[in-house]
Amino acid sequence: MQESQHGVELIRVSREYTRGGEGVKVFDDVDLSVKPGAFCAMMGPSGSGKSTLLNLVGGLDRPDSGDVIVGDTLLSELGESDLAEWRSENVGFVFQGFNLVPVLTAYENVELPLLLTGLSKAERKEHALHALELVGMGDRAKHRPGQLSGGQEQRVAIARAIASDPGVILADEPTGDLDFESACQVLDLLGRLHTELGKTILMVTHDPRAAERAERVIHLDKGRINESPAAPDDGFREVKPKEGEGA
Amino acid sequence: MVPLKLIWRNLLRHKLRVLLTAGSLTVAFFLLCVLQALVVSLDQGVKNASKKRLVVQSAVSLFVNLPISYQGKIETVEGVDETMKMTWFGGYYREPANMFAQFAIDADRMETIYSNVELIEGSWDEFKNTRMSCLVGKETANKYGWSVGDRVPIVGMIYPRLDGSEWQFDIAGIYDAGAEASIDDLTMYFHWDYLEEAMEAGATTGADGIGVYSVLLSDGYSQAGVGAEIDSLFENGPQRVQSTPEGEFNAQFVSMVGNVPFFVGTIGMGVLIAILLATLNTMLMSGREQTRDVGVLKALGFDGSAAFWLLLSQSLILCGFGAGTGIFLALGIEGPLQAVLGSNFPGLQINREVLTPAIILAICVALFAGLAPALRARRLTVIEALREEV
Ligand SMILES: Nc1ncnc2c1ncn2[C@@H]1O[C@H](COP(=O)(O)OP(=O)(O)OP(=O)(O)O)[C@@H](O)[C@H]1O
Ligand SMILES: [Mg+2]
Repeated sequence: MQESQHGVELIRVSREYTRGGEGVKVFDDVDLSVKPGAFCAMMGPSGSGKSTLLNLVGGLDRPDSGDVIVGDTLLSELGESDLAEWRSENVGFVFQGFNLVPVLTAYENVELPLLLTGLSKAERKEHALHALELVGMGDRAKHRPGQLSGGQEQRVAIARAIASDPGVILADEPTGDLDFESACQVLDLLGRLHTELGKTILMVTHDPRAAERAERVIHLDKGRINESPAAPDDGFREVKPKEGEGA
Repeated sequence: MVPLKLIWRNLLRHKLRVLLTAGSLTVAFFLLCVLQALVVSLDQGVKNASKKRLVVQSAVSLFVNLPISYQGKIETVEGVDETMKMTWFGGYYREPANMFAQFAIDADRMETIYSNVELIEGSWDEFKNTRMSCLVGKETANKYGWSVGDRVPIVGMIYPRLDGSEWQFDIAGIYDAGAEASIDDLTMYFHWDYLEEAMEAGATTGADGIGVYSVLLSDGYSQAGVGAEIDSLFENGPQRVQSTPEGEFNAQFVSMVGNVPFFVGTIGMGVLIAILLATLNTMLMSGREQTRDVGVLKALGFDGSAAFWLLLSQSLILCGFGAGTGIFLALGIEGPLQAVLGSNFPGLQINREVLTPAIILAICVALFAGLAPALRARRLTVIEALREEV
């Protein structure tokens, strides 16, 4: 698999939801920059916009204003179908729990994103099995999600996220539903994707121990982004809190 | 593009539910085919009726007879080629359960009027020349095991013999109505003169006069034109008449038995609506259950049309399988159905006229049930789909 070359830039991004006629500002003029190949954890209270941020970066949601740039693509320039195609080539998603298709086997789940590529059946098989081996699930290829434990399911989901070799992995509370040991396995795996394959990883988590695995921890609160005291060379370049609001 | 495995496995996700829905579709479409076949059979006599024949009846009612003298007067109208008396006899063979139609007619004119009727046994000459003779349709002949030369006793209900005996008829021919759509293969035709004689001799009672006159038009004359002429001829009595194209006349009988096509159509409509709602319910439930799958597919980069076809294909397969089975069952039961209902519904068939609407309806049901969840799947964003509590 190739070295990832995808950095992530958010420039003056605002996102507001209206609920019951009332506007809820999730982000207001936020900037964020993540270097290519960084492993970045995001923390923050419930409702602080962590999932929204991942959705913006993954092209599942669009900002009201501002730019989202992933790699060298400005997402706002893509229409819906181009965006879907871009997603299939550049982004791997891992959601919290239950995001495998229940009627498909582990192998078939991992093969799903590869169906959108021009790969032949034999090539798809090679890639999918390789991804399953990588997450240590090679021997469970024929199992359905219902026959797997939560941790195993999540590892298959990671295999699916990396099957088409995207530059960016977006993980929304990937360990949220898991016991300690399974969570550790999943985190180890994400760490290896980062160190061995050079993927850019954005991971939302509530667990400080999980966040420790990352090189860089971003805190979201009330529409602002704050940085943790950073370890040296943590992939951090710049964080610009909103004017007039202290960090 | 959507993986076929995914369509198939999602369809079978709840086997019992899908099986029950497919089963209902099977029953419904089997029933629809049979009902439609009945309607087509009834319509046949109307649609295929000769454009060259009129039926002249009393303007008051079909049950009021016309004077015998009218026949000669009708024949003076320009465009009338031939006329024939037809009087409903209303009798049965041995037991009231063996009821079938008998008409007293002008025996020497029937061959001209119904030129498509063919004798498969016996001869027209024998029929014309023997006063007590009759023609019997092949199905009735089969049913009672009659053949040419047999003497058959018939009890008359409208024209009972006063000494309590039965009427006797000698079979001179057995006919096949063939292309003559307004006639079935069940009826008996005998000499009106024979009936007339018995009445004059005081051997029977019953209404005087003639039930209806069947009128054959000369080439180049229209039913409407000649019909109006005949009607105006008797405008000033003694009894007014009504001339009707044979097709309309036949349609009248269909409506006399309680407007069967309407009745059957209503039942069919009810069955259709019920099955429509049942299938829609199944597909909406499936659609809800697959919301998360749709979210995942879209997050992976599948587009709206993949999500759309994922759901719509399931509806098409479900309806194709369920309705298809019903249609095949109907085809399979065609023979037994003809045996049981053939005498009331001549020409009963599961043919193209039955199959085409059934197939079109099946596709409509599939689209109706599949479009709602399919459009929803296409419209859903990843965020909505993954948020949805299932
Ligand atoms: N589709 C939506 N419609 C309306 N409001 C929304 C929508 N998505 C998010 N929000 C609101 O935006 C805010 C941020 O939501 P988001 O899901 O990003 O939070 P989060 O940080 O991921 O929270 P959690 O830790 O609970 O997952 C919340 O107040 C939420 O209610
Ligand atoms: Mg969240």
